[in-house]
Amino acid sequence: MLKILLAIVVGLVGAALLHLVIVLSLPYFSDRDAYSRVISEGEPFTFHILEQKPDDAGLAQEDPFLETAVCSFDTEERPVRFSAGSGVPFWSLAVYDPASNETFSINDRTSSGGKLDVIVATPLQATALRKAMPEGLNQSILIETPLTQGYAVLRAMAPQPSYRPMAAAFLSSAGCLPAEWR
Amino acid sequence: MLRVPLLIAISLAIAFGGGIWSTLVALEATIGFGAIKLGAWEAFPRAQTADADPYAKSHRANAGKLLYGTAEGLTFTAAVDETGARLDGNCTYRMTGHTPPARLWTLFTNDANGRPPSESAELPAALNSRTVLRGANGDFSVDISASAQPGNWLSVAPHQPFRLVLTLFDTPTAGSSGLIDLSMPKVQKIGCGNA
Repeated sequence: MLKILLAIVVGLVGAALLHLVIVLSLPYFSDRDAYSRVISEGEPFTFHILEQKPDDAGLAQEDPFLETAVCSFDTEERPVRFSAGSGVPFWSLAVYDPASNETFSINDRTSSGGKLDVIVATPLQATALRKAMPEGLNQSILIETPLTQGYAVLRAMAPQPSYRPMAAAFLSSAGCLPAEWR
Repeated sequence: MLRVPLLIAISLAIAFGGGIWSTLVALEATIGFGAIKLGAWEAFPRAQTADADPYAKSHRANAGKLLYGTAEGLTFTAAVDETGARLDGNCTYRMTGHTPPARLWTLFTNDANGRPPSESAELPAALNSRTVLRGANGDFSVDISASAQPGNWLSVAPHQPFRLVLTLFDTPTAGSSGLIDLSMPKVQKIGCGNA
């Protein structure tokens, strides 16, 4: 009897250990996390506009009023520059690292002139850029991050159906391109 | 003779069964620690940051959703009404009051799979701060029901549990420490069935 009890207690301790191991290791092994899904959307350095229904990669517009686009990037060789115009009631950009930790976020009121112009660079590239800012980049917001890979999410609000073409045009004209840095 | 293998089998079954089951339940039930609760509403302002707790990181790795950054917005969800009863498509609810300060907000319901309604649907399944009808002092009242209601009506699927999702955009709430003073709209049940 005592042995059965001991077996149950050992089992419970094992269950607790396994629980902790799974919870702590899941972020490293998951292939359904946001970064993997953004990667499987397709080409990097392009904003992919999401549908209302989940696509093959499993991503969808989370909010019916927010048109959403995602772009994965790698700053190993060159920094990446996000740019977009204006003309929607609200837009926002969030940049994440591969573990989906927020690196940076901005919306139309916190940007300069309501336009999106952000450069994400490694510390080395950022130093070079600060030293000699190429023409045309001097208005950009420069974000320095040691992690070279990541993804960005750009959202544009269409509060009424008549705004949807504007939001779609905003997203399809948005750029997520490698920038010159030397 | 078979006592020892049996005992080992019991231990292993409990360890693996219990460990996997408890993890699945934990990841399904909560987004993590560090929720701010305001009445029926809860939000996780740090779920997308590097400071998120291990449960939050595990949950977001498994769910694979695109979360809102701090400058973007903060999502509040409510699965229960003010009394703590589950929100159900059989009943009619009234949501009244103000939202915390925000430039814009959107309100919609998620079904059991956590999917928002398609906005092109015929029924008003989503509202936002620009389309909602307001009272003289800026407050609003939204009736959430499967059958049509006068005023602001948010339609839900009948006979199904649902979850209200209120997202505040460009809000100081996300970075505020004085969250306790904020007031969220109240969700009250005003009737069930056809009554």
